[in-house]
Amino acid sequence: MSLTAQKTTNSRATGASSHATIARERFVLMAGPTQPRPANQHLRRNPPIAGEQEAIDRAREGDGRAFETLYAMHKRRVYSLCLRMLGNVAEAEDLTQEAFLQLYRKIGTFRGDSAFSTWLHRLAVNVVLMHLRRKGLPQVSLEETLEPSQDDGPRKDIGARDLTLSGSIDRVTLERAIENLPPGYRLVFVLHDVEGYEHNEIAEMLDCSIGNSKSQLHKARMKLRDLLRTGQRKEQIA
Amino acid sequence: MTVIRAMDKTMTCSEFQDALPELFETQADLSGQEHLKSCENCAALVRDLQYIASQARLLLPIHDPSPEVWDHIQQAIRQEKPEPPAAARK
Repeated sequence: MSLTAQKTTNSRATGASSHATIARERFVLMAGPTQPRPANQHLRRNPPIAGEQEAIDRAREGDGRAFETLYAMHKRRVYSLCLRMLGNVAEAEDLTQEAFLQLYRKIGTFRGDSAFSTWLHRLAVNVVLMHLRRKGLPQVSLEETLEPSQDDGPRKDIGARDLTLSGSIDRVTLERAIENLPPGYRLVFVLHDVEGYEHNEIAEMLDCSIGNSKSQLHKARMKLRDLLRTGQRKEQIA
Repeated sequence: MTVIRAMDKTMTCSEFQDALPELFETQADLSGQEHLKSCENCAALVRDLQYIASQARLLLPIHDPSPEVWDHIQQAIRQEKPEPPAAARK
């Protein structure tokens, strides 16, 4: 069966700006502490899910209800990843659908060597990257993650600081800046800083080294800082 | 190695920033870094990067895909059903 034939025909917002607005509206701040935490002390946001292993075992045997259970357990995480990467509700839903169809076809190959959510996210990441390439963004590739442009690396000479970010970023501003990250950086940043995956899990998803994941995350944060500071300067001038 | 060098008082901004990705992963508190005590630029950089990371953690989504997504998945699966289970095909 052709996946294309099953794609969701989404008649909701069609303009890019409307999509972006909807995407932003579909994310909200979670209640929680606002003080910065050390970078290596993440909340564990990918804990084992009760009943997941049983559902996996049954789904591998073709149990449709078990597959539905897995969908219910993981749809939000997969959808959020797609939405963050695409910034477009209709496309994000199409890719969520495609990722879970891939899961249906490939769940028999899951050996349990990694967490199921990590394995599923890897499927979703590949679906997203394939989609972005089809959209004519040839620079979007795992290779980009592995071999980023030197221009995107951290600057060694920061220069005089005229602005501090702390306490001045609101949610919408940060989300807009994330949308403007190069896709490879955005992917690592979203997986680590937003979704809470560890570097070893990201390395597995992206077929790169743990060191590479750390390096890419750092560069993504540096790029975000530049984007946010540039935005603040423009606001001040205006 | 990286951490040891990071404690070096003579570390340059470039060397400190090269060490930052690893420092963020291995040290909960960077305020004790000697370089930061004498370099306001790098101290501000660290504050900003930690702030960005902390704000990003507040962006967890709470919305699900629309019910139509599961409907379409079910339709697709039904059309594939005549074939053997996924486990047998891969």
